Amino acid sequence: MDVIVCVKHVPDAETRLRAASSGKWIDPDGVKFTVNNTYDEAAAEEALRLKEKCGAKSVRVITVGPARAEEALRYVLSMGADEATHIETPPDAQLDPLTISRLLAGVIKTLPHDIVMVGKQAADDEAGVVGSALGALLGLPSYAFVTELNPDATTKTLKMRRYVEGGEEHFNGPFPAVVSLLKGAADPRTPTLPNILKARKKPLTKVPLADAQAKAQALPGAPVAGTVRSFVLPPPKTGAKMVEFQTPEEAAEKLVKLLREEAKVL
Amino acid sequence: MVGLLGSGLSAAAEAVRAYGPDRVLVADDPRLKAFSAQGYSAVAAKMLSSLPEPRAVLAPATAMGRELLPRLAIEVGGTVAPDATDVVPREGGGLVVTRPVFGGRATLVVELPTIPCVSLRPNAFAAEKSPGASTKTEPFPVGDLPATATSVVVEKTVVTRGDTPELTEAPIIVSGGRGMKGPENFALVEKLARVLGAGVGASRAVVDAGWRPASEQVGQTGKTVSPNLYVACGISGAIQHLVGMSSSRCIVAINKDPAAPIFKVANYGVVGDALTILPALTATIARSKGLPNP
Repeated sequence: MDVIVCVKHVPDAETRLRAASSGKWIDPDGVKFTVNNTYDEAAAEEALRLKEKCGAKSVRVITVGPARAEEALRYVLSMGADEATHIETPPDAQLDPLTISRLLAGVIKTLPHDIVMVGKQAADDEAGVVGSALGALLGLPSYAFVTELNPDATTKTLKMRRYVEGGEEHFNGPFPAVVSLLKGAADPRTPTLPNILKARKKPLTKVPLADAQAKAQALPGAPVAGTVRSFVLPPPKTGAKMVEFQTPEEAAEKLVKLLREEAKVL
Repeated sequence: MVGLLGSGLSAAAEAVRAYGPDRVLVADDPRLKAFSAQGYSAVAAKMLSSLPEPRAVLAPATAMGRELLPRLAIEVGGTVAPDATDVVPREGGGLVVTRPVFGGRATLVVELPTIPCVSLRPNAFAAEKSPGASTKTEPFPVGDLPATATSVVVEKTVVTRGDTPELTEAPIIVSGGRGMKGPENFALVEKLARVLGAGVGASRAVVDAGWRPASEQVGQTGKTVSPNLYVACGISGAIQHLVGMSSSRCIVAINKDPAAPIFKVANYGVVGDALTILPALTATIARSKGLPNP
């Protein structure tokens, strides 16, 4: 069984965001980028567990991104993935999630794949599009908001759980498939120093953007995409209006008055 | 036009009709009992092709809506944006969509050429009933479906929601963190939630400690919510929590520590022990609504 996991190199959750001069995205200057602490890291962990549980042949990690995104690939290699593929974009490219899906699908189509894992959404644009878009583009079923999966290799069936509004569904579906993970069964592992050193020597294939675009041409659907008009950061909050009080009852009275008359949310 | 997909839809069709759409197409078919993106998008694409000039596809930004639309967009050669908080027509066709990114720390305005497939964030748009709506529902024959469209089998559904609303859709959320001191004190959170008609949320710390179920977790590895009112009780405000709730319209923070980061994103702050403030708040709100104090 071959497992592919797709990840994105995103700004660290604690990074201070500044708008780029284009007004269309963040200014990447001085921003710390990472793959950990996101849904993608959970997807990578689950991909590695699939390999351990059912003896998958290989786990390949793949990303679309500028040169710096190689760091995300090396991180997942140091978690234990075997090989990596980097579809390299220009540093200032701003790609629609459907465009990213087409680039990934074009390249994945040329690689062996039984299960393609993705995180629920990227931590930056939070689109959550790639999972089911890859399914459509690769002609595979896709399952999203998955919280647990166990493959049965003989029947080629995945036994899964998924989040639904108000509860959880236990369900089965065939694979090959694309699985979008809401949350993994285990905390992602932390790479050890020997594994970090080993990861430096693992195979990492670079795919030039033009090659990936050529591969994407034969895919279904139209190569149309959204374009960003603007990226807006709200003015920094000046902090909360503090309720002054002597007794809890006074705090409650004052707060309810503010919520009712000023904020108008009650 | 409203398209309804699933199995056993007569009550849902009636509910939708009351809002007065021009048409309601109902694809009621036992093969659609279990949701799958592949099955539902195949049927939704057929519905679209039955229309003379479809301009846009809207769906709720629920788990199903968000999973369905990217696949549908590819099937109909359209574009996609999730979780919109504002939608306006675009010159030359399509839509201009505003949506939160970076956990609500910023917003992105995206132009989507036709056919835009957009999921709408719950609570971001008001739905108004249209009294005396005369819309008739029309059955939509599903016809043949590809084998993969019906290959998902649901073995069982576990309902975790009790009598409180689903978090992502709740207009008000009362959330508790480590400052609640122990699982038994969440009764105070639940009581306030009850008088407010609110959902109950929790920080990652208390879910990891086993005080509350994972279904209540708000934040990066839990749910992203944007209610009209979010009451954070004994939650310090780690960034992983903030990204899941900072786009709420109004945030109230109740915390003993005046330096807690939650006060930086809150609109109103109460520096005090949630264990003493909550009962007083519950009593005040119950009294003002004429409800018994739980």
